[in-house]
Amino acid sequence: MKSTKFSELSQEQVDRKWWEIGDFFRRNSLWMLMYCTGCCAIELPPAMTSAYDMERLGMGPMATPRQADILLVSGYLSLKTLRRLIYTYEQMSEPKYVVGLGSCTINGGIYHDSHAVINQLDQYVPVDVYVAGCMPNTEAVMNGFVDLMDAIKHKTANGWKKYRDNYDWYRQNQIASLGEVEVHDEFHE
Amino acid sequence: MMNSTNNALEVITLVESKYNVVKTEHISKYQVAFEVIREDIHSMLNFLKNSGWKQLSYLSAIDWPEEDKMELVYIVFNWDKGVHIQIRSKIDRENPEMDSILPIFPGCKYYEREAHEFFGIVFHGNPDSMKQLILEGWDDIPPLRKDFDPRAYSEAHFPQREYTETFIELNQQESKQEKRAARQAHIDEVRKGGKK
Ligand code: SF4
Repeated sequence: MKSTKFSELSQEQVDRKWWEIGDFFRRNSLWMLMYCTGCCAIELPPAMTSAYDMERLGMGPMATPRQADILLVSGYLSLKTLRRLIYTYEQMSEPKYVVGLGSCTINGGIYHDSHAVINQLDQYVPVDVYVAGCMPNTEAVMNGFVDLMDAIKHKTANGWKKYRDNYDWYRQNQIASLGEVEVHDEFHE
Repeated sequence: MMNSTNNALEVITLVESKYNVVKTEHISKYQVAFEVIREDIHSMLNFLKNSGWKQLSYLSAIDWPEEDKMELVYIVFNWDKGVHIQIRSKIDRENPEMDSILPIFPGCKYYEREAHEFFGIVFHGNPDSMKQLILEGWDDIPPLRKDFDPRAYSEAHFPQREYTETFIELNQQESKQEKRAARQAHIDEVRKGGKK
């Protein structure tokens, strides 16, 4: 009887194969945690409902950070929200991806000179895909999701690894803008 | 059927007969504004509450740095008459303080907290008013004061994205106003067939 012979694969190669398989399934079933802080969030109802029907791409909303793959930041973030966003991001399990909607997340948009909101999201958490526009139209939002899927396929959606490797740098930026990342309010104490 | 114009006028007569009003403004059919001295605010709010203005819609402040005054604004609403009343009073700007209206309108709790945070006004008698509400760990002067510079704060605290190239420069464009006017004149001329 002829025996089936496989060439020996190193542990690294085996791991990479498994990651490729994992990535295939991951990118075809992305669950989003929508952090709708800004007005860009108004583009999500048409993206989710029958007009553009996000579910045909295998995407759906998720209720808790621990079960979600994507953190969707729609628009401007005040300092108060940024603290909660960092909490949320750190609760998510890896691999995790961040999508930033709107010019507010890119460079501050029309709120670039406001005392209340940050100007650049990627200083605090790594962003994998930005969708530009104020607000971006729904086609652009959908295109952003497709771009993210491509990035996962080509292994360029590495934000979560960057966060892990450069944690000190991110932490330093967070502290420089926020003073303190820990939340002290009536609900946390 | 109630006549709302009369409602507003009624309010003016009613309030002016009882209080020394510095200034009255009849803004619209449904809005009246009174400027009063600071000592009158509590009794006036009490009186209005008993006359049907049961809802405190808003409480905030305006900063007037030229006059060196801080103006408190209380807005109350009557659901039967549909009339909003604004009560305004100027207080000292340097150490703004006021007695809380918590015993009259308990709903003022959060408005006073907000006013403390954004304008630095101290409300005596409201135990929560010094707690932080929206701004956490704020390290500057209250941000809605006119002498606060939001741009400088933003530049000092938040990293700005650097661009190496200027992609669109809308500010330096020449004005199209003259061209537009000339075109419009031409259109008018053609329309009238060259006649004046
Ligand atoms: S980019 Fe525009 S639409 Fe989006 S949150 Fe900012 S201001 Fe709102």
